[in-house]
Amino acid sequence: MEQKELSVRRSIPFKEQMVVLKRIMKFGKPYRKQFALAILFSLALAISTAALPRIIQLFIDNHLTTGDVTLQIILMFAGLHFGVTLIRLTVWYFELYIFNMASERTVRNIRNQLFEKLHKLGMRFFDQTSTGWIITRVTNDTEAMKDFWHVFLAIMQGVFGVVISLGAMFLLDVTVTLWILMFAPLLLVIVRIYQVYSSKTYNDMKSKMSLLNTKLAETINGISIIQQFRQEKRLQKEFEETNQSYFDSRFSMIKINALLLSPVINLLYTLSIVVILAIFGTESLAGPVEIGIIYAFTSYANNFFKPLTQLMDSMSLFQEGIVSSSRILIVMDNEEYAPAQLDNKDAHIVDGKIEFKNVSFSYDGKNNVLKNISFTVNPGETIALVGHTGSGKSSVINVLMRFYDFQEGEVFIDGKSIKEFPMRELRRRTGLVLQDSFLFYGTIKDNIRLLNDSITDREIIEAARFVQADKFIEELPGQYDARVVERGASFSSGQKQLISFASTIVRDPKILILDEATANIDTETEALIQEGLERMRKGRTTVAIAHRLSTIRDADQILVLDDGHIVERGSHDELIERGGQYKDMYELQNLGIQSK
Amino acid sequence: MDIFKRLGWFFKKEKKSYLIGVAGLLIVAILQLIPPRIIGIVVDEIETETLTQQSLLQWLIILTSTAIIQYLLRYMWRVRIWGNAAKLEQIVRRQLYNHFTNMDNVFFQKYRAGDLMAHATNDLRGLRMVAGGGILTMADAISVGLTTLIAMMFIVDLRLTLIAVIPLPFLALTSRLLGRRLHLRFKDAQAAFSQLNDKVQESIQGIKVIKTFGQEKEDVDEFIHQTDNVVQKNKSVYKIDSLFDPAITFIMGISYFLTILVGGLLITDNEISIGDFITFISYIGMLVWPMFAIGRLFNIIERGSASYDRIENLLREDTAINERQGAFEEPVSGTLRFDIESFSYPDDEMVALHHVKFNIDQGQTLGIVGKTGAGKTTIMKLLLREYDTYKGSIHYGGYDIKDYTLDALLKRVGYVPQDNYLFSNTIRENIRFADPTVPQEVVEAAAKLADIHQDILDLPEGYDTKVGERGVSLSGGQKQRISIARAILINPELMILDDSLSAVDAKTEEIILSGLKAIRQNQTTIIAAHRISSVMHAEEIVVIKEGTIVERGRHHDLLEQGGWYKEMYEQQQLERKLEGEDY
Repeated sequence: MEQKELSVRRSIPFKEQMVVLKRIMKFGKPYRKQFALAILFSLALAISTAALPRIIQLFIDNHLTTGDVTLQIILMFAGLHFGVTLIRLTVWYFELYIFNMASERTVRNIRNQLFEKLHKLGMRFFDQTSTGWIITRVTNDTEAMKDFWHVFLAIMQGVFGVVISLGAMFLLDVTVTLWILMFAPLLLVIVRIYQVYSSKTYNDMKSKMSLLNTKLAETINGISIIQQFRQEKRLQKEFEETNQSYFDSRFSMIKINALLLSPVINLLYTLSIVVILAIFGTESLAGPVEIGIIYAFTSYANNFFKPLTQLMDSMSLFQEGIVSSSRILIVMDNEEYAPAQLDNKDAHIVDGKIEFKNVSFSYDGKNNVLKNISFTVNPGETIALVGHTGSGKSSVINVLMRFYDFQEGEVFIDGKSIKEFPMRELRRRTGLVLQDSFLFYGTIKDNIRLLNDSITDREIIEAARFVQADKFIEELPGQYDARVVERGASFSSGQKQLISFASTIVRDPKILILDEATANIDTETEALIQEGLERMRKGRTTVAIAHRLSTIRDADQILVLDDGHIVERGSHDELIERGGQYKDMYELQNLGIQSK
Repeated sequence: MDIFKRLGWFFKKEKKSYLIGVAGLLIVAILQLIPPRIIGIVVDEIETETLTQQSLLQWLIILTSTAIIQYLLRYMWRVRIWGNAAKLEQIVRRQLYNHFTNMDNVFFQKYRAGDLMAHATNDLRGLRMVAGGGILTMADAISVGLTTLIAMMFIVDLRLTLIAVIPLPFLALTSRLLGRRLHLRFKDAQAAFSQLNDKVQESIQGIKVIKTFGQEKEDVDEFIHQTDNVVQKNKSVYKIDSLFDPAITFIMGISYFLTILVGGLLITDNEISIGDFITFISYIGMLVWPMFAIGRLFNIIERGSASYDRIENLLREDTAINERQGAFEEPVSGTLRFDIESFSYPDDEMVALHHVKFNIDQGQTLGIVGKTGAGKTTIMKLLLREYDTYKGSIHYGGYDIKDYTLDALLKRVGYVPQDNYLFSNTIRENIRFADPTVPQEVVEAAAKLADIHQDILDLPEGYDTKVGERGVSLSGGQKQRISIARAILINPELMILDDSLSAVDAKTEEIILSGLKAIRQNQTTIIAAHRISSVMHAEEIVVIKEGTIVERGRHHDLLEQGGWYKEMYEQQQLERKLEGEDY
């Protein structure tokens, strides 16, 4: 993922930019009517803008110079001018509003699709990609799309402004217009020069900014090391060097902008007025000239040049938009989907019988972490998996939960292949209690209900009572409505466990999968948790990963895993009698318990 | 406006530059008046048929030279003013950075890393806007506004001016009012966005839970609810935001209406010429920006002021760790005497340490064992002067450690912390962090002692391999050993290993510890560990429980005592036996 991102940071070839552009624009398709309407308004805006100088020109040439002026005529022209202004501001408002809303909705569309896409991806993606990276794609990169869309508005306004004012000039005087058109190649050259220099400097500035921020973040995170080794002075010096080079780069950006942006456009505008005055002035020496036209031309020249500043200014935003778009598309193109199910609508989990038959599984397609695993758990029975870290215990859960697809063998539930069940049925009927209980922002109730609105308050309270979480919950201010903040930082890990028990049990799963917590749990809650586990297991098929062997002594079957193989299996007593790995582990832990 | 006073130190410093910039701005404002006037004059000369080739040429030359001078001056003031703004940003960023590096733990607990980053980026931007956009807007609005007004009144017509500018104050008012509204709505939209952000963060972090419960659809629904909310909030932003330009157009429209009306009448009365009228219309257009800008100025100042408040608050924070005047600069050596009656972390009622007393003679090793959270690291923190607010004393070589300069103390201590923080740099630079000038041989020697040399050579680029966020990912054990090499490199008088061998296997641990012992005959070492084997050869071992010493002695003494130490030792022996089968 990291590498992909780095390659995106490098400049993207033009052809690829167009591909990215085309693809990202598709997300705006549902709003094409609104975009079209905004374009229409934009056109109307440009036309009404061009009408204003024309009104004054007519006023001057047809009335002021000819002396054909009455109060009525003056009022009429002033009113006409104001009327067109009213039209102009109305279409302007709608142009802006409709365009902004259309782009806002497009961003929403991108976000929603991106988020849905994420939920279709398998655990592999989430295990391999940093959380921060994903979050940035969904929030910041999509947010950058708004600026990106704005570039198109600027382009549209610019093009209409230039074309319409040129058209209006043509209507007035073809020769002069052709002279003004001579500025066009010059403008293109300036735009090109600006593009070349600014994009280089801009990228340079951006990368130095991010270097500055990286250094700052590293310093804050590593402050104790820096202070311990007394390297403050050296790092201050190094930081200042980056700070200085960022300043230098920003300063050259300022220079480029000052040299090639609005000052040069202003210069060209004034020079175009020189041309206009020169032509009309010379013409006037030969014969009469309509002076209103001179005024109109100076206004149109202004309309012609003005949008260019904004256009050039938004070029850097275009680049950034392309970068953000391509990052969004990386996620959209990801094909590490969650394992596919056959979605047999008639497949239901009724009894909860689990059967692994010669299952082999690897994460990378090369090194098997589960090797030819077979076992059967009858409805209502408990099977326990024990073994060292990396022995394959968690992989059994990953396979059973369909977080990952297995490569060989077959897993049956109630005699049907696990692949037949719709994912929803599978997940709803199997309750997994995770090692670290993750609490969401919201209330206790929300955390037990977990978005399933069909669960009533009553059921929540009953579930909490069942796992004996009710006692501590009822002592909280607000009880079941007590707020959970910052991932439940205010709760002990034992309390968090109890809450997650409740959210599992409230769904009344047929199969229970327990990934026992390794974290230290306070002794008071420990007893509650043990009892809760026992109660939950009753009447349910249970697969338990145990670290504390004392908790699974009564399991119907214990599997000892080592390097992906089942090395020992049997009941507690059988395994102790055999005197293998299990016995050693058990004795070791007994010692630990005594020393408590 | 107060912000300009508070930033006075900077404006004073860059006085010359600002003066030149503002002067340039003022001259441009005056020069801007020339083109419309020349258009007016030429039109009038055409109308009255007084235009000659010569006069036309004269006007065109004036116009061209004005254009060129304007261009040069515009370039100049932009570079000056925006350059100064960038300079202010640079200076304050440096101040902040230097300040951060000098702050103590209390500071970093009070402010989260994310907040500090935000201040150093967003608030600096706010400040830059004041020194650039703020100054520019103010100077530009005033100079362009005033000169244009004066030109309208005296070059064209006083009466026409007075009537035409009636609507203009409403422009400033409108932009101010809309700005305020917009600001409030914008805040709502921001809040909606950050809610969305939180939602995404939770969903991604809790993805396994969501998958476990099969709640993908519900989660997407909730997300859509959030994105709808963002759209809704932004809708109310756009309603106002899209009003800005049209509102200005409306007010300007009234102004034009009045100009055409009154100007038309004045022309018929021969009070002004058509050329005057054309000039005037251009001037009115030039007043839009200053009026609009004044409204905007308030926003820039408000934001910049709030930003500077936050920055000043940070800069005002003080560190509790100070060097005494006339502190010893001689590096510490000799016996370390640790005698703490009690210590609690600031803002925490719990006593973290009480009645902890030990002596370590030069060249000896102290072992500290105990459960997580018992107080082992706290002892190290006090030794390293991260906190000074304890009852009791710590003496090194007969003098209180507070009597030494920080350099004298810390430069002689090689600390290897629990969390092995490495910088995004090469492995070489990470090892020679304390002194980037030492040669490769020294780096390698330290790496060999930490038993990491071979691991490094096996990496794709050896010592030049980058680590950290963008680099290769090292195992916990490798990171620990690099941290150890980093501490070994300074040949410390006191070396502290704070549970820093937990991720290496027993054999490696033995290699490292015996290597250290061999070269550190005359230097002091403290080893805190969970694993008994790390400390069993120490001259003294203390067992810490709930902030105080509960058992102490040499390894065999403690085994005889038959307490926690003995149980731990036996348990770990058995674990080792089991693990041994694994290898």
